[in-house]
Amino acid sequence: MSASDDQAAVERVLAGDISAFEQIVRRWQTPLVNLAYRFCRDRGRAEEMAQEAFLRAYRGLGQWRKDAAFSTWLFALATNFYRSELRRIPAGTVSIDDVREPADPRTLDGGLEEQDRDEAVRRAVLGLPVRYREALILFYFHEMDVPAAARSLGLPEGTVKARLFRGRELLRNKLPQVLAMPSLKEA
Amino acid sequence: MEDAELDRILSNHDEIQPSSGFVAAVMEAVEREAAAPAPIPFPWRRALPLFCLGAIALVSLIVIAGTAVIRAGNVMTRFTAVAPETGLFAAGGIGSALAWTGLALVVAFISVMASMRMVGSRG
Repeated sequence: MSASDDQAAVERVLAGDISAFEQIVRRWQTPLVNLAYRFCRDRGRAEEMAQEAFLRAYRGLGQWRKDAAFSTWLFALATNFYRSELRRIPAGTVSIDDVREPADPRTLDGGLEEQDRDEAVRRAVLGLPVRYREALILFYFHEMDVPAAARSLGLPEGTVKARLFRGRELLRNKLPQVLAMPSLKEA
Repeated sequence: MEDAELDRILSNHDEIQPSSGFVAAVMEAVEREAAAPAPIPFPWRRALPLFCLGAIALVSLIVIAGTAVIRAGNVMTRFTAVAPETGLFAAGGIGSALAWTGLALVVAFISVMASMRMVGSRG
């Protein structure tokens, strides 16, 4: 399914063929659920949030101006909803100050497992202040594409870059030992 | 190196697959939404005569009030003739009306500013 298929499906829905919306859901369900999952790290809640995002997209389908790609519009709508939803009921996370490094990362078996270390870093992202967390989540979700992250967040690129810089800095300050460790592949 | 490592960790996010019933659940919600009756539009045809009546009543009230003020002004004019020190406020006519209006505006402005300042100091 391509961008033109999206447009055709949207036009059919707007003409009254609701079943055409299923094509849109099938195409975008995985990205939208995964984006929600990155925000809340809870599978059940991610699906609920994605479902509501699709419902909002259905309601607002007529507002999509075709000057931008349908995916851009959909991600911006979903991001906006996820952000407000997470502000309303925050994810079960801890503050970055409460994210603890392992007492001794270099354990007897040669170091913290790579997987555990990666998980510690991802959890630390969820503990960041909301503005930096959102910028980091969207940046990596869009495969490190700053303009795409900026469009989803509805912010200027410069603001997103500044937030990414500060977010990374906070992470590095919080988890210096973990990040300094060589990964198992390098070791 | 640190940035590259951070990029690697955060890019390699574990991806989840939506559950098998996800599409069906979304479509069910969409169909429910589509089947729901459209919101009832505001009954302009019925409300418009009422709005017109209200507007006429308001204008009548203003006219009656204005007439009453003018009559009171005449009384004040007679009063001023007896007590000229009451000045412009009791002079009657357009000058008196303007003076009272100005005074009312000043009082309203002061009360608004005072209340805004009080709210601001609490916030």
